[in-house]
Amino acid sequence: MAYREKTGWLSLIAMALTFGPYFAIVATHTIPASGLPNLRLLVVFAVAALCQALILIAGHLYLGLRSPGEARTPPDERDRAIMRRSISSAYYVLIAGMILVGGVMPFNSSGWSIVNAAILMIVIAEVVHYGVLVLCYRRHAS
Amino acid sequence: MTGSVSNRMRVLRFLNGEMSQAELGQRIGVTRQTIAAIESGKYSPTLEAAFRIADVFGVPLPEVFTWDANSTGSQGA
Repeated sequence: MAYREKTGWLSLIAMALTFGPYFAIVATHTIPASGLPNLRLLVVFAVAALCQALILIAGHLYLGLRSPGEARTPPDERDRAIMRRSISSAYYVLIAGMILVGGVMPFNSSGWSIVNAAILMIVIAEVVHYGVLVLCYRRHAS
Repeated sequence: MTGSVSNRMRVLRFLNGEMSQAELGQRIGVTRQTIAAIESGKYSPTLEAAFRIADVFGVPLPEVFTWDANSTGSQGA
């Protein structure tokens, strides 16, 4: 498996391990609609973001130590083509999500519901980004 | 639209002392995985990379890559 595919898997796993529980907490706990600032939820979000950063740092260090040559090599033309494809796919998902959150949700929601919907759209866009990246590397795997 | 790029890279590597994919990749500035993807027809290289590959083998470009108008390719990023 190519180094860049491994980093794609790492990002997907980090996302699942941190924002999976975050949205599980959000979905199972009642959040007061006008309770801003909701410090408890802010702490949960901060913990999720911090854990994601730690997993990514540790994962990149581990992968870099296991294949130092590949980690130092700049992306070649196929890597860049795959990156372009994955980022453009994620861009459309993010734009659609933000139109939904910013244009529709203010009419029937407020407060943390909108904030969490925006975070969810960013997470979905990131999942699409790394999902397409991994899929492209899988299709080209030898 | 039908058509795909086919190549003779495997044969040319063999004729050049069984050059490895990693060595060819190193000489043109791409990874071994990219050479494998090009060789298996899963990725079409840029024109620049195609010229570099032909240059490594010391042959003109059409001796490495050919356009097959009748086949249905499965290339893409």
